[in-house]
Amino acid sequence: MFVLITFLLLLVTAVSITILHFARPGRPYSWLVAGGGTFMAWISVFFWQLDMPALHSLPPWKPEFIFTTSPTLLVDGLSWPYALSLVTLALALILTSIIRKPFPDMLGWAGTLAMTAMGLIAVLADNPLTLVLGWAAIDMVELTTTLRSVNGAEVSEKAVIAFAVRLTGLGIVLWASMASLSSGVPLNFETPTALISPYLLIAAGLRLGVLPLHLPYSNEPALRRGFGTMLRLVSAASSLVLLARVQIGNADSPLTPVLLTLTAIAALFGGWQWLRASDELTGRPFWIIGMGSLAVGAALRSNPVGSVAWGVALILVSSVLFLYTVRQTWLTRLLLINLIGLSALPFTSTASGWLTNQGIFGLFWLAFIPAQAMLMAGFVRHIRQPSVTSLTSQPRWTQVIYPAGLLLPILIHSMLALWGWDGAFNSGTWSAGLAASVLAFGIYWLVRKTRIFSPRQAHWVRPRGQSTIERFYGSFWGLYKLAGRASAAIANALEGDGGMVWIILVLVLFISLLGQAGG
Amino acid sequence: MNAPLIWIGLPLALAGVLLLIRNARLVSILGSTAAIILTGLAWFLPLDTVITLGSYAFKVAPSFSILGRSLTVGAGDQGILALFYGMAAMWFFGALATPNGRPIVSLGMAVIALLVASLAVEPFLYAALLIEIALLLCVPMLVPFDSPPQRGVLRFLIHQTLAMPFILFSGWMLAGVEASPGDLNLVIQAGALLGLGFAFLLAVFPLYAWIPQISEESHPYAAAFILFIFPMTALLFLMGFIDRFAWLRANPNLPGILTSAGLLMVVSGGLWAAFQRDLGRMMGYGAVIETGLALLAIGQYQAAGVSIFALLIVPRGLGMATWSLSLSRLKSEAGSLRFSAVQGMLRAYPSAAVGVALSHLSLLGMPLLAGFPPRLALWEALARQSAVSAGWYAIGMVGLLIGLIRTLAVLSMAPDNTPWRWQDTWLQRVLIGFGLLGMLTFGLFPQTLQPLLARLPLVFEFLGR
Repeated sequence: MFVLITFLLLLVTAVSITILHFARPGRPYSWLVAGGGTFMAWISVFFWQLDMPALHSLPPWKPEFIFTTSPTLLVDGLSWPYALSLVTLALALILTSIIRKPFPDMLGWAGTLAMTAMGLIAVLADNPLTLVLGWAAIDMVELTTTLRSVNGAEVSEKAVIAFAVRLTGLGIVLWASMASLSSGVPLNFETPTALISPYLLIAAGLRLGVLPLHLPYSNEPALRRGFGTMLRLVSAASSLVLLARVQIGNADSPLTPVLLTLTAIAALFGGWQWLRASDELTGRPFWIIGMGSLAVGAALRSNPVGSVAWGVALILVSSVLFLYTVRQTWLTRLLLINLIGLSALPFTSTASGWLTNQGIFGLFWLAFIPAQAMLMAGFVRHIRQPSVTSLTSQPRWTQVIYPAGLLLPILIHSMLALWGWDGAFNSGTWSAGLAASVLAFGIYWLVRKTRIFSPRQAHWVRPRGQSTIERFYGSFWGLYKLAGRASAAIANALEGDGGMVWIILVLVLFISLLGQAGG
Repeated sequence: MNAPLIWIGLPLALAGVLLLIRNARLVSILGSTAAIILTGLAWFLPLDTVITLGSYAFKVAPSFSILGRSLTVGAGDQGILALFYGMAAMWFFGALATPNGRPIVSLGMAVIALLVASLAVEPFLYAALLIEIALLLCVPMLVPFDSPPQRGVLRFLIHQTLAMPFILFSGWMLAGVEASPGDLNLVIQAGALLGLGFAFLLAVFPLYAWIPQISEESHPYAAAFILFIFPMTALLFLMGFIDRFAWLRANPNLPGILTSAGLLMVVSGGLWAAFQRDLGRMMGYGAVIETGLALLAIGQYQAAGVSIFALLIVPRGLGMATWSLSLSRLKSEAGSLRFSAVQGMLRAYPSAAVGVALSHLSLLGMPLLAGFPPRLALWEALARQSAVSAGWYAIGMVGLLIGLIRTLAVLSMAPDNTPWRWQDTWLQRVLIGFGLLGMLTFGLFPQTLQPLLARLPLVFEFLGR
């Protein structure tokens, strides 16, 4: 019941703002409508706790003998933290939008709320069908928005390629469902078989840019703050929830060490590039890859709770980092509290991130802990950078609301550390948290003292050559062109003057082959 | 009054009248209105039952005799009639926004009436002749009066005409099979001829070279109309055969043959789509894949195949109509649908470009869009039988995905600083918008097609029961 209220509040507010945009464009009071609606939706998420776990069936697909499953939402201890984080992100975004240009950004707010609703569908999905419906909606909105906002052929092509990668992830979930069915077991999130789990992991990893390592959005200058942040984080959250839903890790599987190695490489790459990025927005794709890798790594270590911890940290810490445009020293110091949430120290929200340290998994600490440390050090470096305008130059009322919008995710993050999900409040693996924290301080000190960590030039403002990753994936293009030439040759033969002869020849061959097979 | 007169005679007469009207817009409006009325009648008018309107009572007889043959439209056929004329209404309405919509409506109305007649005629062998007449009527749709016919149109005529002798000859032999089902040689010969006939009619691999050709050379809307209406009729005709002959229905090899043919079309169509550099040809391969999917569904006739087949029809019609309407717009501006000509057109014609992309996505089976629910059901049915079949299906879809990505990339790759300009007309935006809305509705709520699904299997006596 409360789930429906949340959806209703988000969608009604989105529609109201859109109507206001066309009927009364540019009226600042539309911010009150957006803020009020989102605040009520945010409050309603807390009421979900009254009826948990709860299953909400959407209109069933008919006829039933064709459609074995129908869209269904599940509110439980694993989906609730993600849902709360997403709605918190939306509220923080609208609260902080008062100092961002353009103001009022009515269509941006409406899009934010609609995107939040789509994200909620994905994170609450109880079965693969609902999940792929949510993913598809997010992907289509993401592609449309990106193509509308970018400029130039190369960037447009990259947006399309990113969409293709996401579609591939979606296709892999569908394939996992078919593979499960062919072994006689309809796929659901409760009982995936050992055969199916790697598919689901790869699907989530692919959408996050982790498995295999790739950069979905390396160039996105036009989608910087605000809705761009929402888009990236909803997309990431909708993929991360799969890691929490499905028991993916399997120590006995020979695939696990391979996948862990690939994930560790992605984590180190993401952490390193994030640390060296010229600013937080340029480094955002790497931040998502780095944090996503930590979540994937936790899932691979049979620690779904740990993956929720990293996933929620990704959304809530990002909410602060990427919405923090107008800066003030005292506020920066206050926002550094986020470091605690990233540290994995005992009784923090990420404390469960390093559980299940046994067997071969211990070896991977050597890669994951430095990656975590680089992400933490990068966070400090980026958040301490000064802004062009200061908060004191803003109107008085914004000086209250804007910091409130930034502190809200921190508050929720702390609250989730206490009772966000089953097993959230625990001592975790204190040695890992301590090692990462000490290393992070060391790296940050080095960043300030040495040139080796000096930031890269922002690659979106200068022409740049192909990266190693791009060259690697570009090598497939040669294969594709070769296959294209072969296909064109066959098509020309069939469609040319001698086409009928070729067709009859192929037909005769085909019939004779069939005859042989039959006889 | 009788049913064949309403759904065959009247549309044929109307087609004659529409041919005489010069105003294309009026032709579209009249044609689509007539099709809507015929759809409503098919859905609501009871056959062979006394209907009283005040003091006037009448009965619509299901049969009509002509030249010793009979045309029979039973109550069970009304679902098919509603589908045919409902889809026709959509196509004719869409013709409002295309440059050469007039012949599509006037000749299209006659084609549909003839195809309905082909499904209603007894003895059913005469269906082949009616289909042939319908084929000949398609030529003026594809070739403007002042242009010589191109290679694709000639191939289309040759391939479809070649199907007729095979089907007629097999029909003659089938009578013998019915009389002596134990004669294995006769059964094999009849089956082989029937298979060849339908292979030509349905353009099964490698007999579909004409499809990408007409999609590239002819007007996209006319080509898509033909690529929708003919395979649909041929597939219903095939199902009629399977339903009618017990020896065929009971043949244990038939599901395998249909599934193999379907997979061959899906895989080959998908792989070729991956390498196309012309949006028209891409749509042609899309039509090939759609027919392949329908064959796969029919191949599941012992399970839920008939329902899945029925579920495929509306998304196919909607997708092809939106796709071709959008392509028509792009072609009329760019002169060609080659990648080099349409590059960056998303910024000048956003509605048309979005129409192309979403229709392609629907064909691919993108969740949220109309193509997804039937494909999901079909893929699941295949997976239950064999993982290998499901894998081949996936390969076909991967090819289609590559084609989609290239299409999207080409349409969106405008040079730096190209501004957004909405150059589509309002009518085109509204029509394409309706198409997209329909795709989303059927994609999210496939249960809205349930009334149609409940009526379509009634056409067959044994299949789908």
